[in-house]
Amino acid sequence: MLVALAGNPNTGKSTIFNALTGMKQHVGNWPGVTVEKKEGDCIINGKKVHVVDLPGTYSLSAYSPEELITRNFILEENPDVIVDIVDASNLERNLYLFTELLELTPKIILVLNMFDEAQKKYNIDVHKMRQILGIPIIPTVGIKGKGIESLKQAILNSKKFTPPKIEYPEDIERRISIIEKKLRKENFERARWYAIKLLENDAEVIKKIGSQNREIVHLSEHLRHEIEDIYGDDIESVMASVRYSFAHGLFHEVAAPINVGGVTITDMLDHVLTHKYFGIPIFIAIMYLAFQFVFLVAAPFQDGLDFIFNGKNGVPGLVDISYSWMSSFMPAWLASLINHGMLRGLGAVLTFMPVIMLLFLILSFLEDSGYLARVAFLMDSIMKKMGLEGRGVIPLMLGFGCNVPAIMATRTLKDENERKLSIALNPLIPCGARIQVFAFLSYIFFPHNAAVVLWSLLMLSIAVVFVLGFVYSKTVLKGRTEPFVLELPPYRMPTLKGISIHMWEKSEGFLRKAGTIIIGAAAIIWFFAALPWGVEYGSEQSYIGMLASFLAPLGTHFGLTPDAIISLFFGFFAKEVVIDVLYVLYGSKEAIALAMSPLQAYSFMLFLLFYTPCVATLATIYDETKNKKFTLLVILQGFALAMLFSFAFYTIGSLMGVGT
Amino acid sequence: MKLSELNPGEYGIIKEVLGRGTVHRRLLSMGLLPGAIIRVVRTSPLGDPVEYELRGFFISLRKQEASYIIVDRVVPLSMIPSGTDVQVIFIDGGVGFIRNMGTMGIAVGKKVHVTKRCCPMIIRTELGDFTLGRGMAYRIFVR
Ligand SMILES: Nc1nc2c(ncn2[C@@H]2O[C@H](COP(=O)(O)OP(=O)(O)O)[C@@H](O)[C@H]2O)c(=O)[nH]1
Repeated sequence: MLVALAGNPNTGKSTIFNALTGMKQHVGNWPGVTVEKKEGDCIINGKKVHVVDLPGTYSLSAYSPEELITRNFILEENPDVIVDIVDASNLERNLYLFTELLELTPKIILVLNMFDEAQKKYNIDVHKMRQILGIPIIPTVGIKGKGIESLKQAILNSKKFTPPKIEYPEDIERRISIIEKKLRKENFERARWYAIKLLENDAEVIKKIGSQNREIVHLSEHLRHEIEDIYGDDIESVMASVRYSFAHGLFHEVAAPINVGGVTITDMLDHVLTHKYFGIPIFIAIMYLAFQFVFLVAAPFQDGLDFIFNGKNGVPGLVDISYSWMSSFMPAWLASLINHGMLRGLGAVLTFMPVIMLLFLILSFLEDSGYLARVAFLMDSIMKKMGLEGRGVIPLMLGFGCNVPAIMATRTLKDENERKLSIALNPLIPCGARIQVFAFLSYIFFPHNAAVVLWSLLMLSIAVVFVLGFVYSKTVLKGRTEPFVLELPPYRMPTLKGISIHMWEKSEGFLRKAGTIIIGAAAIIWFFAALPWGVEYGSEQSYIGMLASFLAPLGTHFGLTPDAIISLFFGFFAKEVVIDVLYVLYGSKEAIALAMSPLQAYSFMLFLLFYTPCVATLATIYDETKNKKFTLLVILQGFALAMLFSFAFYTIGSLMGVGT
Repeated sequence: MKLSELNPGEYGIIKEVLGRGTVHRRLLSMGLLPGAIIRVVRTSPLGDPVEYELRGFFISLRKQEASYIIVDRVVPLSMIPSGTDVQVIFIDGGVGFIRNMGTMGIAVGKKVHVTKRCCPMIIRTELGDFTLGRGMAYRIFVR
């Protein structure tokens, strides 16, 4: 049995989905688009029911991928029943989508979720609603699991119900039935729905029917103009008005408002959180505290994992122990590949995990609480200048933590171009690992001005992100096609369960998909660093060393020493490794400080700031876009900026004779 | 007037949604339809976008989009000072509520005189003098 969940965004669809399927769910993408697809199984009275969570939408027109997916799924997969989840505390608006679903199929169950909140606003006469609609209507409180059992039984007992037809005014009905009859004659199923959509000038349907029968399309065009003349308005407004008045009428028929009046909690919170002067500072403070929290909590885990894999102060780690064990029964090179290459790679992936998971935790909290929408409201004006909507600020800020979750967070952006723009800019934001490297290098090379140096790099990256965002959005990734209409849902306390499922889903996705790519890349790096066999790992005699000497003449234009080039190679793997490599090559901080002139050091940092994103980030970019060319362009963009800034700085600095 | 010209705290009734294509449909599907009452809640700290209340929920629109929406300014009857004559523009409620109001002579297009604003509100219609609860007066929009 196939069940599809439909509904507006923010109605508790995920909560109900989780309650139905538990942990037995699978997250993927709908074919061809980056809209998430969630599926799972639910056993009801021993019967297996397959549940598909359709994307949240406000309507079923053909304008956004979410709408098309929902519609086409119902048309093509013909689920046994559609469960429409509505936010009962916002019933009228939610019933609009319901009317559209009702036009599409009579096999529908209406779930009145957030019934707890609804009861504070009005008394809903569920019984009367059942009488009017003739379908199962189940009040639920998703977060408490209330009503889920009734929903399961209703799903099992569902059949073709006989809900009322959405009636249009006489002069429209007459025209609908003219088209409907023609379609029937041509043996079209769902003739009424297609007739309405033809009349409504629905691009997808016109394309579909038009390819088989042009005449019907012409006829409906003619009838549409007649209606527009009669009503003196465009067809979309006319039809939407009819549906809304159905929703409006139904709503007032079954809901009696309770006059509570007064200020709501949401209103009070918004008063402060979106305050004219305090709103933005509060947002910055919240993000600052969130980051403090992430790094504070993650640090011990990271150190622990690092210790387990790599050891410390002469205590051997897993990599070394396993290496000596394996090399007793297999060729040393193979043991080295497995341990120094892949196992170390796995270690690197795992040490990323605490930060990634915690950043996802923050993101889920922002999303589920409703604050994310306020951030969008606060920041929209600024973000608009760089071609993004307000929510675009979140991935950029998360980027300071780690670019991986940040890039995954771009999913909150609905516009495809904005999403791409946001992904392209994200690697230019220095992540926690890079900031750590810069803090360390600034301190070594510029002990008296370390803070200024670090600050200058951060400011530069932010400026570059802004300028590039502005340029890209005016040229290659031009503007959004959708208007920016954002719902500001009431604040809600997120549930632990909801947040942990959210967090785990995303983190697990990263582990599974990016993990394999990273371990593969680790093997490749090993190959270059350890071969030809017998040389010291990563030394001048290794392939990496050779490549570095080969590139050295080129590097001098950018102020890069051969050793700096070697460290950059390793940095591709994970940026924090750059420090380790320099340590291995020079042995002490003092020696590192002497190895480069201040001018070279700063040029090196500029290069490090922008050049290619690390493997994990690249794997994520590819995974999120499924676009090799785009991923490649992101790398090129990084190198171009790195070369531009370090070359300019080094050349001008040399000419002026400073810091040499 | 355009929706973008209303100030925070003011109400409007939507007359028309201009434009074509995506913008138009998205606005319609969110319930921004002719006849709907919309209230300006607050402006974002940087002046754009603006938050509105519509049919009991809250949305944010950029000025750009709000300028597609043509409204008439209206005022809830509950906010009309004593001694003012007004005309009813819209009654926000179901059939029952509208019928109820009708029995007091409150219907779209009718003239109402506010004798006393508070409390309770006393009004004079062509059918006589009536007292009106705050909750009811709040759902009657006048000009
Ligand atoms: N008060 C209340 N909150 C709920 C209910 N169901 C879900 N929520 C909360 O509403 C928010 C949005 O839920 P979610 O499932 O993410 O909505 P989705 O966007 O439709 O998938 C979360 O913070 C949930 O904890 C409910 O029945 N009552």
